[in-house]
Amino acid sequence: MTLGPFLFMAPLTLLGLIALPVIWYILRATPPTPKQEQLPSLRLLEGVDPREETPARTPWWVLLLRLGAAALAILGLAMPIYAPGAQSGDDASGPVLVIVDDGWTSAARWGEIRSAALSAMDGESRDTAAHILLTAPRAIEADPAERLDRVAFEARIRSLEPQAWGIDRAAALERLDESRLQPGRILWLTDGLDPESAGPFAQALIQKAPLSIYAARTRGPVAVTRLSSDATGVQLSAVRAGSSDPSTHFMSALTLDGAALATTDLAFETGQDAATASFSLPPAALSRIARFQVTGSATPGTVWLWDSADRTRRVGLASGDSTAQPLLSDIHYVRKALEPFATISEGELIDLIDENPDAIILTDIGQIDGVTATALNDWIEDGGALIRFAGPRMAGPQAGETGDTLVPAPLRRSSRAIGGTLTWEEPQPLGAFPDASPFAGLTPPGDIRVRQQVLARPGPELARRTWARLADGSPLVTADRRGEGTLVLFHVTAGPDWSDLPYAGVFVDMLRRSIAAGRGEAISDEEGLYSPSLTLNGAGQLTQPSAGATPLRAGDFGVVAPSEEHPPGLYQGPAGTRALNVASEYRAIPVTNWPAAATLLGDTDARTFRLGGLLLSAALIVLCIDLIVALALAGRLPALRRGAAVIAITVIGGALTLPGESLAQFSTFEDEADLDKETAAALDMRFAYIETGDERTDRATKAGLDGLRNVLFRRSSVEPAAPHSVDLETDALDVYPVLFLALPDTPEPFSEAAVSRLNAYMRNGGALFIDTRRGGNVGAGNSFEGLETVLAGLDTPPLAPVPEDHVLTRSYYLLQSFPGRYSNRNLWIEATGAADKTERRGDGVSRLFVGDADYLAAWAVDDRGRPIYSVDGGDLEREMSIRFGINLIMYILTGNYKEDQVHIPALLERLGEDDGVGDFDSDPDGPDGEVIP
Amino acid sequence: MISLTTLRAEAEALARQLPDVSLQAAAADLVHPGAAGRKRAGSGEQFWQYRRYAQTDAADRIDWRRSARGDEFFVRETELETARTILFWNDPHAGFDWAGDPGRETKADRARTIMLALGITLAKDGERIGMIAGSRAPSLGKSAPDKLAEDLVATQSGDLAPPRSQALAVIASDFYDGVDAWRARIAPLASTCRSGVLLAVSDPIEHEFPFVGRTRFSRPGTALDRLFGRAETVRDTYLEKLAAHEEQLQKLAVSMGWTLVRHRTDQTALRGAAALFAALEMLGGKA
Repeated sequence: MTLGPFLFMAPLTLLGLIALPVIWYILRATPPTPKQEQLPSLRLLEGVDPREETPARTPWWVLLLRLGAAALAILGLAMPIYAPGAQSGDDASGPVLVIVDDGWTSAARWGEIRSAALSAMDGESRDTAAHILLTAPRAIEADPAERLDRVAFEARIRSLEPQAWGIDRAAALERLDESRLQPGRILWLTDGLDPESAGPFAQALIQKAPLSIYAARTRGPVAVTRLSSDATGVQLSAVRAGSSDPSTHFMSALTLDGAALATTDLAFETGQDAATASFSLPPAALSRIARFQVTGSATPGTVWLWDSADRTRRVGLASGDSTAQPLLSDIHYVRKALEPFATISEGELIDLIDENPDAIILTDIGQIDGVTATALNDWIEDGGALIRFAGPRMAGPQAGETGDTLVPAPLRRSSRAIGGTLTWEEPQPLGAFPDASPFAGLTPPGDIRVRQQVLARPGPELARRTWARLADGSPLVTADRRGEGTLVLFHVTAGPDWSDLPYAGVFVDMLRRSIAAGRGEAISDEEGLYSPSLTLNGAGQLTQPSAGATPLRAGDFGVVAPSEEHPPGLYQGPAGTRALNVASEYRAIPVTNWPAAATLLGDTDARTFRLGGLLLSAALIVLCIDLIVALALAGRLPALRRGAAVIAITVIGGALTLPGESLAQFSTFEDEADLDKETAAALDMRFAYIETGDERTDRATKAGLDGLRNVLFRRSSVEPAAPHSVDLETDALDVYPVLFLALPDTPEPFSEAAVSRLNAYMRNGGALFIDTRRGGNVGAGNSFEGLETVLAGLDTPPLAPVPEDHVLTRSYYLLQSFPGRYSNRNLWIEATGAADKTERRGDGVSRLFVGDADYLAAWAVDDRGRPIYSVDGGDLEREMSIRFGINLIMYILTGNYKEDQVHIPALLERLGEDDGVGDFDSDPDGPDGEVIP
Repeated sequence: MISLTTLRAEAEALARQLPDVSLQAAAADLVHPGAAGRKRAGSGEQFWQYRRYAQTDAADRIDWRRSARGDEFFVRETELETARTILFWNDPHAGFDWAGDPGRETKADRARTIMLALGITLAKDGERIGMIAGSRAPSLGKSAPDKLAEDLVATQSGDLAPPRSQALAVIASDFYDGVDAWRARIAPLASTCRSGVLLAVSDPIEHEFPFVGRTRFSRPGTALDRLFGRAETVRDTYLEKLAAHEEQLQKLAVSMGWTLVRHRTDQTALRGAAALFAALEMLGGKA
């Protein structure tokens, strides 16, 4: 039944409204429940007859409330629908065909399209059949002739999602013709774009049946159509359809995991259908961007996926250095400089060539064997860029003799050291970059000094091949073309050994420009297959590819249109990822010339609104209010009020206690116990001891480190945090400056993995203090017997007792011996000069200390700071032992700093002064004394 | 019901304030706290009479100043003084142990507080205090208030048995059972106790009758209930009845030679205690 703009699904229920006057009468006749009151003086009213025994009436507004609830319930049960656009009358003309444009252009207003589709059957008779035709092509198409009843139709419409690819109206029309369906009425829900296909389509539909069209045209930007990038930033073009008002939107640059790195305006001018968003981002940030998206728009068209093809170079690094100390190697500087801009692979040179990168960087490789050199040459001829750095090996005596062909210009045999002890010259700054050089335009920093370089033999070609010079004109970077490729030589090391260049920001730019001399984007294999790794769904989100998505040939990018087989998304292939964007070069043209015979539905016409549930819930709310009112009238509300008060107090109390708890959480977060152990160790300097598994020994060790820590706090500026115990196999060792190991009486051997981690720790500069605690055994000598078995395989350098004048004797206190619990024991350290210089073991500072005097027990204190264990020689010896502990820590932390001889003259002078008349005690009124440097 | 300790504490606080109450000057002169003359010779402070010396009298009892005026010997006698007895009674009816607002004290509790405060003051002055129909005899001294407090809380007897000897009676109730019924109950008591106080404690709701609408009233402690369609229509009648009741109560008290003290629980307990105190002083002066 239709009543104005309202449809009633169950109109007979409205007869219930007749019952309202009856309800009115009954409600009036029934008195409200009396209030219960106590009155001790009730006796006084004995014999009093009330003048009016007729009870008080239910107040009129309560009556109204209850009648209203009844009326709302009756209306709600009649299931009214607000449908301003509903057709009334000729509804038995035949099945209804609903055509939905479900391509990506519909995604923006999909909700409206769906609700318009849902309301298509409102106003039709109960057994009218519905048919659905979708215009986006699918591999398996549904037959439009399939008859759907009302429930199945709704379920189908609700499960529809927009597709990430475009629509094909002609094909859809073909399918409709094939199905021989004769609809009584057609509703076409369209995106309102592309008049070229929409016009004929609408005409063909009108031939079949009366046509209503609901065009939900995207408001705002329809699509991002183009991306262009240069060195400084990225520009994206976006289009909109059929709107001429100026409007501003925003566009975000997102990483692959969805973090927004930048946002910029996308402003459409009056009357313009296209706009451009410009991002100017530092290159490091640009390299992380995976897609651009119009903010707040969830459609596949407003996302632009950015592949890696035009932004990342692949660079191979090969080095002649060992990697024992990664932070000191030359290649570290190159890697750090290139990491933001390039995909770096490292390995053997011959493997790198096989990978065919854009550029290969070699740091100080003197000799390249014949096979490799040939392969390298071929690779350069093919367009690779070989960038070499000089170094001691290249400048060695063999350089030039074997005719190293992989240099842009012939080199002299030896390197040139500038500013050394025997040269007159000062270290040279960088000169201006030649105009013809790729470096032109960069500003040479003034504070860079080159101290050593290899020299090119002067020749007629040299000036042309020079990309950068020193201030005195000698070449710093030379380059030469070989076939398609380029050969670049930096005449200094990649590390800071020969020059300050690696410290400078210009070094990064020089490297980038050198790499750019390689072929860059030279993906030539048209046959390479790219398989989809992430695809866009209809809502513009990146998802796992569906089963129907098939790989794409490299040559097809830019040619093939996205479809179900090739959905828009990121494709992974031999040369990185390639993106397939659905809206590439899309032109959004709104349809304006709808056929006159079609009925165009407005936004409000196409929508219906079901009021039944709303009315029923309103009735329920009114009944709830009535319940409260009835309670109030019967005098029951005070109890209710008290209950409410209790609830309120509970809630407020809860609210008050909650912040308290969260505060407590904050405060406990500060506790060290809650921090990750590694984090805690990295944040504060602290000592660590190795767990031996023997509880007594570990406890003594911990107490000893606590005691040492207390003394350090009091006497020095070394303020270590509480010591950690570490497990050699699992914990991170590098965050501790020193590890202590006190062997228990019956030690368990450490595992091979533990020892190898300990070796790595010491090789990277960590210090290890081992106390065998055997000193108490009379006549035991300085035995390392326990050590051999416990730490089998420990990379031990030659050991020697501490020499008399070693830094350990004066790194803080001046000491003669190193007593622990047992006096007169020897402490063994690395023998000086024994270690091979090339091993670079921390400037000759010993990293290993082995003693047997039970030092940790001598330092050990309990909770109140009282010594725990006795010491040979009493408190004096204990003090000496603690002083040794401080010296040890100072030595570990400062290395050979105290070995520095600079202060010797001042110290001697001070020692030579008369007693008590030192510098510090000199007469303040007298003339200024000599200031000790 | 109020607990013993609370009752004691409140009454003590009240009793401490009582001497500060401004008393009627006339009453203050008349009252002799503690003992009252018994109009015959005995041990006491006040002079009573001189009488002729008898052979049985000890020689040191001779009043030489009087005897020197003439030839005969005289003995000086003083008036007999004894302590008076004040007896309390609290109505155990459920309608009396009731308050119109849960936050307010019940009428019975208020009556207990006031009576115990008076008891404390009186005991301090040397009077003998106790309960009518109490399990214990009236007592003197420091322990008397303790006993009175226990009895006030514990005694639930509605019996108004007259005491064996002359005493001052304090009867606390709301007297809503009808004046005639009360006259019958008090009559035997009044024959023994020539003077007494009716302490009528009422709740403010009983004076205001703030009820409207359809209301079912019930009297606590009884099965009596009445349903009024519109409670507000009987309000005027009720107030008239209440005024008549109070007037009759006053007449009852006067007819017995007793005093009526009215108190409402929305007034301070101090005010009730002071009124009771004043009434007792007046009676004490008369006695």
